[in-house]
Amino acid sequence: MNMSNKNLLIDVGSTYFKLCAPATNGSKTHLEQHFRNFNKSIFNDLMHKCGPTIDQFSKQNVYVCSSANGGLSTLIIGLTHTFSLKYATNIAFNSGINIIDTILYQDIGEASVPSDLIDVVIIVGGISSKAGAFNDDLYQYLHGVNYSNVVYVGNQHDAAQVQQQLPEVVVLPNIIDDRLHIVEEDLKAYLTSLYQQDIMGKEDIKDLYDITSNQIYSTPYIVNQTLPLIDASFSVVNPFILLDIGGATTDIHYSKDLVDENIVTENEFDRLVFKKLGVYKSRESLVFAAKGNEFVGELLMHLNVTEHIFEQHNDKATRILMQLAIFLVLCKMSHYRQSYINLKLLAINSIVLTGGITKVLSQSEVEDIIGFFYTKILTSSHRPVTIMDTDYAIWTLGSQSQQPTQTER
Amino acid sequence: MKVVTGVVGNDIHVVANRLIDLSLKARGYEVFNLGVNTYLEEFFDAVVETGADILLISSLNGEAEGWGREVKALKAEYKGLDDLIMMIGGNLTVGTGSADDIVPKYKNYGFDLVCHQIDLNTGLDMLADFIQQQPAKSTAL
Ligand code: B12
Repeated sequence: MNMSNKNLLIDVGSTYFKLCAPATNGSKTHLEQHFRNFNKSIFNDLMHKCGPTIDQFSKQNVYVCSSANGGLSTLIIGLTHTFSLKYATNIAFNSGINIIDTILYQDIGEASVPSDLIDVVIIVGGISSKAGAFNDDLYQYLHGVNYSNVVYVGNQHDAAQVQQQLPEVVVLPNIIDDRLHIVEEDLKAYLTSLYQQDIMGKEDIKDLYDITSNQIYSTPYIVNQTLPLIDASFSVVNPFILLDIGGATTDIHYSKDLVDENIVTENEFDRLVFKKLGVYKSRESLVFAAKGNEFVGELLMHLNVTEHIFEQHNDKATRILMQLAIFLVLCKMSHYRQSYINLKLLAINSIVLTGGITKVLSQSEVEDIIGFFYTKILTSSHRPVTIMDTDYAIWTLGSQSQQPTQTER
Repeated sequence: MKVVTGVVGNDIHVVANRLIDLSLKARGYEVFNLGVNTYLEEFFDAVVETGADILLISSLNGEAEGWGREVKALKAEYKGLDDLIMMIGGNLTVGTGSADDIVPKYKNYGFDLVCHQIDLNTGLDMLADFIQQQPAKSTAL
């Protein structure tokens, strides 16, 4: 871990750059955060703002991770909600993917065709002894879809036929085993590597190899690596959730003990993403979600503001939006709003917040919202401990733990 | 033949479920046991994923009736479950009740075989007879 003494860590987000440099004069590490200028390329903007710092490091001592490109877009076609679609969604989130659309196979005839390019289509369904799960409807539908990759992880019987109809398909082992349990490894490895290729292929990111000779990883992947280490560096009591409310999306990483689901894997932590919930790039959809939530009026009153705050663009509005984001995320995860998964929020002992939000809100402002949520929505006096990752320790820890393998590029 | 089984709703009585699993296997069925605490949608989804021929639900704590009412509407949302054999057993009412009242009610909910407080082996014999009577299915076991 002492490697960190000479390394510079850079995180390129959708809204901010973060830099973490070793201390020059002893005690504390040096942290910088800059709002991005979207009229400039990432590289030029970064060099303009942080050039002098970056120049002090040689390429092999600079480590970059990025969530700036939004990640891969995924379309999952599966037989049922409880098994195929849920399992594939879980694996995709854990592979760092943010944008996921799903189609229930029986409804594929009426499903609308996405207008955007899909990076990867995932086809899944059936235990391996099930045959004839897919037919012409699938191929006809896919004929109209504009996609770059397609992967089949369904029953073995249908694999040959799928391969015949879709010559470009990558066939991997079924993600549903004969006991209806999830099998993650192969699909996860495939998606993670696609994601890496995507990051490295983006023009804007490619330029960053001018300043680093190490592989550029996706930020959620790095954060996920840190989770098992978190309780060692924070006073976190398990089980916990980690909220990363960013400019474009909100990421939630959670301990597996918080779900009662049929997903049984060896990983201790899962990830979940709300794609259009952010305070900068996704501001409009955040406001839209807020207006649709029946408790938000009461929350605004509690915060002593009115709906007019949504039209304002100042520091106060940003603070309120961030507080709303915390509330909406908790709502989305509770039974009050059924989502892909429901977390046992009454069993949470700690809520860890990371990302830009920790720079804007104070601990008590966050606790206020969490308290409001538990009282109003869950009618409970339970209060998980709130921990603010103000100095980005989670990200630096993850970046550092990644380093030994990075040299193999 | 493939059977999906489990205990419906918030019911956690597990003993019968274990016995059902063992007995079905002993009779040559391929069993997919979803265990206790299983919701209706999970049952039907498991039938779709496995291609099961039979859905055997048990209920012990008195919840069955509430779920039973939902069965028809939910099943209708699935395409291709018309040939599924549907069976339910255990304690199908709260407190005491007579089979004469209970059986027609559950048949109306969409179950082919209804076994209120009927011993497991008797129930599984009924299932075997039912399968025999179904022309297309009888050879598959
Ligand atoms: C043990 C037990 C418990 C244990 C369960 C432990 C566990 N994890 O399994 C505990 C203490 C937790 C418990 C809790 C409750 N229980 Co309790 N429990 C029993 C008890 C005493 C025995 C159940 C048992 O295991 N029997 C042995 C197995 C082998 O027999 P069986 O379950 O009857 O199953 C046989 C048949 O029914 C049949 N069968 C079952 N399913 C099917 C399906 C088909 C298709 C077929 C053909 C046959 C079949 O096959 C089995 C073998 O022949 C029964 C009373 C009794 N003597 O039956 C009450 C009983 C089932 N419990 C009852 C109740 C009400 C409860 C509680 C609501 C009590 C409460 N107020 O908290 C809770 C509910 C908890 C929950 N969420 O489900 C009632 C249900 C009444 C009703 N339906 O109207 C019963 C009948 C007691 C009573 N007379 O009031 N219970």
